[in-house]
Amino acid sequence: MSLAFRTIRELGADIRAGRVSPVALAEEALQRLDTVGRKLNAVVTLTRDRALTQARRAEEELRAGRDRGPLHGIPYGAKDLLATSGGIPTTWGAAPFKDRCFERDATVIERLEQAGAVLVAKLAMVEFAGGMGYRQPNASFTGPGISPWAPDAWSGGSSSGSGSAVGAGCVPFAIGSETLGSILGPSTYCNITGLRPTYGRVSRHGAMALCWTLDKLGPMALTADDCGLVLDAIAGVDARDATSIDRPYRYDAGAARPFRFAVVRGTVDATEPGVRDAVAAALDTLKAIGSVEEITLPERPYEPMARIILWAEGASAAEQMIESGAIAGLTAPEDRVTPYARDVILAKDYLRALRLRGVVAREIDGVLSRFDAIVGPSRGTAGPRLGAEFRSAIRGSLPDLLGAIGNAAGLPAVGVPCGLTPEGMPVGLQFMGRAWEENTILAAARAWQARTDFHRRRPPLA
Amino acid sequence: MAAVDEAEILFALIRHRYADRLDAAQLEELRKTVDGLVRDLAALRAVTMADDEEPAQPFIPYRRDP
Repeated sequence: MSLAFRTIRELGADIRAGRVSPVALAEEALQRLDTVGRKLNAVVTLTRDRALTQARRAEEELRAGRDRGPLHGIPYGAKDLLATSGGIPTTWGAAPFKDRCFERDATVIERLEQAGAVLVAKLAMVEFAGGMGYRQPNASFTGPGISPWAPDAWSGGSSSGSGSAVGAGCVPFAIGSETLGSILGPSTYCNITGLRPTYGRVSRHGAMALCWTLDKLGPMALTADDCGLVLDAIAGVDARDATSIDRPYRYDAGAARPFRFAVVRGTVDATEPGVRDAVAAALDTLKAIGSVEEITLPERPYEPMARIILWAEGASAAEQMIESGAIAGLTAPEDRVTPYARDVILAKDYLRALRLRGVVAREIDGVLSRFDAIVGPSRGTAGPRLGAEFRSAIRGSLPDLLGAIGNAAGLPAVGVPCGLTPEGMPVGLQFMGRAWEENTILAAARAWQARTDFHRRRPPLA
Repeated sequence: MAAVDEAEILFALIRHRYADRLDAAQLEELRKTVDGLVRDLAALRAVTMADDEEPAQPFIPYRRDP
């Protein structure tokens, strides 16, 4: 019984039926990460000792009739910006921190342990979660993340290892983080399902801060259903993160219903041709599960607003690293330089962006009150190449209206595979919902995945 | 003030603070980055907002309970 490309639900059933053991799953995940995962530059640290300890405990508990739920005994990987104790390094993808260890676990790591999940690896990421301004894939001391869909294609960033490890069948799920595209991007390029929760839904305690008011942690998995199972385990208020919200969450995997979808005019046409064709076809397919209405949004500088918030807070969060000149030790040449430019953002301009953010949040909530989700491309491009500059909303070289609005307004979105380009590279579709409506967008994504098989297609490098 | 003028002035600040650790090519890279930031700032400043539009940023008073 192999772990590769089996969902959390399937593996959980296998464990409980005695067809496979948590220790055997952990061993296979470790082996697969060490071979396939390393070829994709997905791995920073294999956490073998901790994994086997957790897996043995899961076996004993399940044998004794203590069942912690769907994640019990399931292996996973964590983006290497989540603090881990026990001498396991937490590197933030940055060479200056490649040996740095914390004495505590991030809240998400704690909650997954409480749920019985088995941490098998700290996964590669773009240095400083992309907050230094990288514009080409080679921006991590572990090397550029490689998509399992082509040896010369980027996995996306900044949750690059989380994307490729799941996409290559090394682990059934991983934790990623998104500030402005870092879950939906790699999920798209690695053909997996990624959930960006509502801001405040998941505690950021113990996670690297890139931008305090934009950072979110979320699951990356094979299906929307699995993302719901993981969110159920990691969501919830945390006294150690003042921005976490006391709004209980329970994943509801109930039956689908007819949905009301909106498409923002221009968002599909703004993508490259292969993406546009796949997303246009997906919108037709969606009509089988609901209505699809084209809408327009107020003219606003959505992307500049999101970027100014990101750059201003990022400059402050990494101030010591930047001012000391320690960024000279980073991998990407542009990351050693670009952060200095952010000194030019005046406090008044940052505050203006925050004020506009409030306006946008109210306007978009008014729009979404009439729909279950806004749908559109998860990413405007497909399969960026390793040796070239990529187009990105963060640098202003690629439109990403939904990404800017969704992240700035703190809205949840789930990205699902929706096709391949003529070159065979994955394309993603996103469902973006109202704040706190993860269950609604996950239901829509499940309905999509019940009608399509894009999420079951396997990459050539796995 | 024209956007290009503001970019020059702001770039001078960057050069003043960091030129000793950057070479000519890096400074040119920074100049382009500042140009992009100034375009973003101009777009933001063009939005009319009412005075009572407060920043979407909660501050929570702290009190340590015994």
